[in-house]
Amino acid sequence: MATQVFKIADTFRKDAKYTFCPGCDHGVAIRLVAEVLDELGLRDNAIVAAAIGCSVTIYDFLNIDALESPHGRAMAEATGIKRARPDKFVFTYQGDGDFASIGLAESMHAALRGEKLSAICINNTTYGMTGGQLGPTTLVGQVTTTSPTGRNLEYYGYPIKIAEHIALCDGTAFSARVSLDTVANIRKAKQAIKKAFEVQMKGLGFGFVEILSSCPTNWRMTPEQAHDRVRNEMMEVFKPGIYKDITEN
Amino acid sequence: MVAECVENKKVLIKGNFAIAQAAINAGCECYFGYPITPQSEIGEFMSGKMQELGRAYVSAESELAAINMVLGACSTGVKAMSSSSSCAVALMQEALSYATADELPVVLVSVMRGGPGLGNIYPSQGDYFQSTKGGGNGDYKLIVLAPSTVQECADLTYKAFYLAQKYKNPTVLLADGLLGQMMEPVEFKPYPYPEIDNSSWALTGAKGRDGRIIRSYAPLADNQCEFLEKLYEKYRKIEENETEWEEIGTEDADIVLVSFGSTSRNVKTAAKLCRQKGLKVGVFRPITLFPFPNKRLNELADRVKKFITVEVNMGQMVNDVKLAVNGKAPVELIHKGVGAPPSPEDIMSQIEELI
Amino acid sequence: MEKDFIIAGFGGQGVLLAGEVLANGFMLDDKKVTWYPSYGAEMRGGTVNCTVVMSEDEVSAVQKSQADYIIVLNQASFDKYEFWVRKGGAIIVNSSLAAISRKREDINYVFAPITQMAHDKLGNIKMSNILALGILAKISGVINLSTLENALNNVIPAHRKNLIPKNVEALKLGYEYDLLKV
Repeated sequence: MATQVFKIADTFRKDAKYTFCPGCDHGVAIRLVAEVLDELGLRDNAIVAAAIGCSVTIYDFLNIDALESPHGRAMAEATGIKRARPDKFVFTYQGDGDFASIGLAESMHAALRGEKLSAICINNTTYGMTGGQLGPTTLVGQVTTTSPTGRNLEYYGYPIKIAEHIALCDGTAFSARVSLDTVANIRKAKQAIKKAFEVQMKGLGFGFVEILSSCPTNWRMTPEQAHDRVRNEMMEVFKPGIYKDITEN
Repeated sequence: MVAECVENKKVLIKGNFAIAQAAINAGCECYFGYPITPQSEIGEFMSGKMQELGRAYVSAESELAAINMVLGACSTGVKAMSSSSSCAVALMQEALSYATADELPVVLVSVMRGGPGLGNIYPSQGDYFQSTKGGGNGDYKLIVLAPSTVQECADLTYKAFYLAQKYKNPTVLLADGLLGQMMEPVEFKPYPYPEIDNSSWALTGAKGRDGRIIRSYAPLADNQCEFLEKLYEKYRKIEENETEWEEIGTEDADIVLVSFGSTSRNVKTAAKLCRQKGLKVGVFRPITLFPFPNKRLNELADRVKKFITVEVNMGQMVNDVKLAVNGKAPVELIHKGVGAPPSPEDIMSQIEELI
Repeated sequence: MEKDFIIAGFGGQGVLLAGEVLANGFMLDDKKVTWYPSYGAEMRGGTVNCTVVMSEDEVSAVQKSQADYIIVLNQASFDKYEFWVRKGGAIIVNSSLAAISRKREDINYVFAPITQMAHDKLGNIKMSNILALGILAKISGVINLSTLENALNNVIPAHRKNLIPKNVEALKLGYEYDLLKV
């Protein structure tokens, strides 16, 4: 008798075509989101505010209601949706540029207001869709198309530690950073996403997960090298962990 | 001070409060805003009232956030609005462009003040271009309604919600500091328009159906061409059905004064003064700035000898009047850069100079 | 017929409120009426004014550079508005806070120690604005005292209704002020 070892989440669009680069972690991240929506029974009640960047295609993968937002404004759109329909499950799926650069004010203030929202932020240390420019999370020393000699602090300033900042906001119920570099870490990531969704469902406040992600194309690496970089360079600076969880006490 | 508003009873109230009360009567479920003079009373009134009614009010972190919150709320099918003024409405242009592409029934109240830049807080009509031509990207139109009295501030707020819903197009109520700050008796009638069924497109959770996507991203050029044609077909329909204006004494007029909003009040008086002097002067007041009453102005141009637009800006609507008249008659401009409109006597003496 | 009114004074003297009461009175009399304040930056510590226009027909203009009746509650407003009074019109001057002087012969001057009267007879200088309205009602004849009383009811919010009798007293005090006493 055959044993089922993998099931495509019901929330996944059946006609979805994979459009990400080989080795990109968006695919894994979106799969996890879809599985958590399935497992928490949220599919029928969910609305996602999509962002600008590679993350925008979330609506091509998830068979749920979606609103595309201008760059950086996904948390504002999500706030509007949730305030209009408090009974809906509302989340965003954004890149680090969208969430923590152009949209930092919206992100921080949604957390400060304690909006009953969940946010997933993909941190790949670069602006992916536009071709790998320096972003808010680009590591010190990292070469990008707009930091050709590497990010030096004198010239470019510091990268932002997003999960830590969001954890400092009083309205935040859950803030974590996870990575997708190993199977074990992918499992942890799914648990974190689940937690960030549950705090919204319980009306506890803002739920946030920063997902460290590879970008082999813009990093000019193979998928394997890219995941080594996530592990050896990114996780050294952006330490995975749970930075705030008000359900712990 | 806010007078209690009871339907079918006259109350003396500021234009800003009239707009806010009308929005509430119209069934506005969500208000998102950020303070700016001379329209802050709208948000102040809303903050208390919406909470009291169990509706949503958010003090947004910026006008960028405020207008995007409106987009979010509108995507779920509820009536939602923001209000702001000039330099801050400038911040909202990107979202308004998105809202036209997303076909969302956004309502924005724009209470004009002096510009460019920070300018000042005095009345102005300097954002005629901003609202009718758009500061956002791409080919799009906003429906723009221009009240001239506090009563109209209320009535056209109702209409703004209706037209926004009916055409799924962002709609601007374009007032100014004078209308926002002045008081005048208003009678609040119940919201007179039918409710629009938006169950076919609103985001409500995809129970029993596929997920809906409200998006403007059109990766393929052909798709975008097709969409723009469809969008402009809608704009043509709006022009056909919703163009609104007021005419006084145009039947026999040699000179027609064209003016919108608060300025038209003084223009009407100036026309009366001219008539007393034996000059055949009429008044044409566009109430919808988009759709602009091109057709009617063009008809009038067949027999009118001269059009004079009167505006509190450096001359903006005058361009649209010229396009409408299309060379059939000369179009002149009387204007003042910023502040309360020129006095009727002032307007009259400038008319005399122009003829 | 159209009549223009300007009320001016320091911020805090209740200038805008007095105008609102007057405008409400005209509304109750079924007249066309507009009220327009100085607003924004001007309000911070400086002088405040509002213009009320009452008309049988449509109001000709909301903002005016002349008025038939002007109430000035301080010296700065007196200095500014003395020349805004239309020929044959009247200016009501709060002589508690402005010096008695006449620079024109073609207008009527009414000097009354409004602040002093409010302090001495009502025990509250905050009633100065309404007291001045009482004087205006008397000299202009454009509005009845009873209409102004009803207007007060419209303007004073529900949780402050206890202030109405005192304000009515202020109106009457102004109305009964001996105009010949300078």
